Amino acid sequence: MKITNWLKPLSSRRRLYNDLSNEIQAHLEEKIEELVASGMSRKEAAAAARREFGNLTLTEEDSRAVWRWPGVEDMIEDIRYGLRVLRKSPGFTAVAVLTLALGIGANTAIFSVVNALLFRPLPFRDPARLVVVWHTPPQKSFPGVSKFVVSPANYLDWRNQNHVFEQMSAVAFRNFNLTGMGQPESVEGRGVSADFFSTLGVQPVLGRGFLEEEDQPGRGKVAVISHEFWQTHFAGSKDVLGKQIKLDDKSYEVVGVAPAKFDFPFQAKLWVPMAWTEKDRAVRGNHGYIVIARLKPETDMKKAQSEMDTISARLAQQYPADDAGWGAVVLRLNQQMFHEVGPALFVLFGAVGFVLLIACTNVANLTLAKALGRRKEIAVRTALGAGRGRILSLVLTETILISVAGGAMALLLAHFVIQAIAEFIGPQLPFTVQIGLDGWVLGFTLAISILTGLIAGLAPSWHLTKTNLNESLKQGLGKTDADSSGGRARSVFVAAEVALSLVLLVGAGLMIRTLYLLRNADSGMDARNVLTVTLGISKEKYATVTQQNGFFNHVLEQVRALPGVEFATAVDNLPLQGGSIQPVAVEGQPVVAMADQPEVPVRLITPGYLRVMRIPLKQGRDFTEADNANASPVILVSESFAKRFWPNENPIGKHVKLTFLPGDASEVVGVVGDVRLNGLSVTEPVQAVYHAMAQNPQTTFMRLALRTGLPPTSLISAVTEAIHRVDADEPVVGVRTMEAVVDLSIAQNRLNMILLSAFAGLALLLASIGIYGMQSYAVRQRTREVGIRVAMGAQPAEVFRLIIAQGLRLATTGIVIGLAASFGLTRLMASQLYGLSATDPWTFIGVSLVLLMVALAACFIPARRATRIDPVVALRYE
Amino acid sequence: MKKSEQRDLFPGALEMMILRTLKRQPLHGYALVQHIKRTSNDLLQIEEGSLYPALQRLLKDDLVKAEWGISSTNRRVRIYKLTAAGSKHLEREVSSFERMLDGITRVLAPGEL
Repeated sequence: MKITNWLKPLSSRRRLYNDLSNEIQAHLEEKIEELVASGMSRKEAAAAARREFGNLTLTEEDSRAVWRWPGVEDMIEDIRYGLRVLRKSPGFTAVAVLTLALGIGANTAIFSVVNALLFRPLPFRDPARLVVVWHTPPQKSFPGVSKFVVSPANYLDWRNQNHVFEQMSAVAFRNFNLTGMGQPESVEGRGVSADFFSTLGVQPVLGRGFLEEEDQPGRGKVAVISHEFWQTHFAGSKDVLGKQIKLDDKSYEVVGVAPAKFDFPFQAKLWVPMAWTEKDRAVRGNHGYIVIARLKPETDMKKAQSEMDTISARLAQQYPADDAGWGAVVLRLNQQMFHEVGPALFVLFGAVGFVLLIACTNVANLTLAKALGRRKEIAVRTALGAGRGRILSLVLTETILISVAGGAMALLLAHFVIQAIAEFIGPQLPFTVQIGLDGWVLGFTLAISILTGLIAGLAPSWHLTKTNLNESLKQGLGKTDADSSGGRARSVFVAAEVALSLVLLVGAGLMIRTLYLLRNADSGMDARNVLTVTLGISKEKYATVTQQNGFFNHVLEQVRALPGVEFATAVDNLPLQGGSIQPVAVEGQPVVAMADQPEVPVRLITPGYLRVMRIPLKQGRDFTEADNANASPVILVSESFAKRFWPNENPIGKHVKLTFLPGDASEVVGVVGDVRLNGLSVTEPVQAVYHAMAQNPQTTFMRLALRTGLPPTSLISAVTEAIHRVDADEPVVGVRTMEAVVDLSIAQNRLNMILLSAFAGLALLLASIGIYGMQSYAVRQRTREVGIRVAMGAQPAEVFRLIIAQGLRLATTGIVIGLAASFGLTRLMASQLYGLSATDPWTFIGVSLVLLMVALAACFIPARRATRIDPVVALRYE
Repeated sequence: MKKSEQRDLFPGALEMMILRTLKRQPLHGYALVQHIKRTSNDLLQIEEGSLYPALQRLLKDDLVKAEWGISSTNRRVRIYKLTAAGSKHLEREVSSFERMLDGITRVLAPGEL
């Protein structure tokens, strides 16, 4: 059909209809005239003309119908009608819209997080071709570790030997002390190879990226600063290029400003060339660099992976001491973030899906109740010739209108929830991940809104189309036995709601128990009354170990002298936060190449660390001030370390060689309790080695830890002053109580717990509204029955029991089904749990009881109402 | 007698007759009905009203066009004309109708059973 034919009806429909009426009128008149001419009276002629013409109205309607778009116009009619109906019952509309708004809002919020992490393209050129290449460490030395950072020599070999990547760039985290710009501060810097910016396809907004010659040893005193740094430190001034900034007491020339929001990798403030020396480039056994690469257009992930496998195998053969057992894995850059939080999001997405289903069920129930009241109207429509499809679309239009309104409101709700989530996890995310509403989220919301409306409307409308026409027309109030089938459908809905909320409550219950168990888990140390301070320390001013240790010892002396400080000590990495893992050669074990040596966490401490953290000394002695650079090297080992390597021997006096350190093997002088060094939820005993700072020949970044009898936070300013008395140029980077460190290590668990509990609470609320609605309706429906019972002598208590029992039957059915479903589903969240099984019986029982109580409460008001039914009124009611 | 002789038309028959009639000369609605009645010797007693939906369908499909004009009885009427597309459509329909009729006639032919 021609397009003009489609448009014509819209523009000139009215004229068409007028023409038609006029034409038919003319036809009749002509006919009458003819009949009159043949001798009929005018009245007779008019009647005959009408008779021969047929049904005038129908003819006109049929003729008009030719011009209509039946689908669209019926729909518009349905929408108009739906809006009218909804306006007429504002209470129903408000409850239904609000219910769906909550359900859809929760989904929108969680989807916006998934969207930000997974679907939103990274702000780089052609981000789909960007990958991260990790080492896969030998499982013998690193059990359970699947990704590892890369050593310089391996990176350089990868770069030179591969045929699948256009570019391959290495990045290292390098924190600098920034001085000469007000207060000394520590800035998150990144050392990068020269092609870093071009690999990502990011063009500085001002100036340029790095040149190849700037990435040479002795050069590299140039920096690209982030947009944010440019704003905060140079007020966005255009003449920033060529300015010098002091990083670790060395001058760097600013050559570029990165685009706004670019902070890759992870909250970087500035970038400098790596400028490896020949010695740096030769390091193969010590890993510390993130490698990003850009795939060539003609390659894919599979080819890239097999190429890296080939190269790794070759390197392992060539350098067995360093590379035996080390492979490589290629991962897409945009999936990196998702790998971290994916499993938790998966659980949350399941949870909000359930909430939405419950909301759907509630609305279906409300609609059904309302629809049953409209049976007569539907029957009249059917009698007048409305088909099953028209009735279906009538009800569906109504529920879709509700759900779309709910969706609009959901966006409003989601906006606030998203803000809260972003505030909570935002600091843990790079800038490049922006959680918020965008086209994808809006599309998602619209799609699930319509889907929700369809699902909510399907059951009620299907039920209505089965309505018995005759019965409905006869019965004004619709109190026939046909109700019992509507009632059955509603009962099924309510039981389903209860089952769904039980699953959610079980999930939330498991998370709450997990958090409780984590909070009370024995970490092996005592976090109370401990303050930790992270210092920036200039690598220029304190270039040698002696200078550095001197600085720390000075600071410790000052801090120890403060009133309220019981003792102060230093450590390179705090418990629960991970840290250095190194190969060791253990006395009594076969001598093997470094690649085959066991890898264990190594912590650097000063004497008194055990006292501050209250880590028990199980055997032997603690470090003393006498264990200095001149004394023979000594170490402490953890209990599980001793148990692993010397199961039946006295560990004291044994020797362990830290492969990365020059010099002799260290003697074990003490055995200490196991501490959870890698996080509270990591329960495997940590086989750790503690090494004395005074005997460490390398410069290291240290943190202070001090025990006090006072509230730890009250010491912050005194400690800061004490540090600045030693050197006013060294910034205090971070101050945290040890308890805050513990909290931080379970922040993710807590967020999951909060969100899941919120969703489960929402589910419980919706389900109890569902039960309440169901029972209220049932009481209304059974008014007459109750009236008869009371008239026959039933006591209020019996009536009360009758209604309560009906509600409890529904709830129990739901709970049984819900328990079975939970049993199958909670194992999917096993990785999120700690210290309890996914089918923890206490959680299952407790949650069932809670749900049962809520169901009882929801039945209470309707049951009370039933006891007040006056039999006289009830029997007259018909 | 009239009533019993009346038959439902098969779908499209009315349209075909309208097109055929208009091929001879442009006509307005009333004249069209009279013409069809007359030429079919009153055997095809169509309800006059049923003409109009059919005409609207033809109009919509561009098989006919309509203009307001003055009838022989000096009345303002809408006169329908066959379009080129209508003419082509008519040819196709007639030939397929004839084939169908031919088939029906053969089946109904007396004799060999």
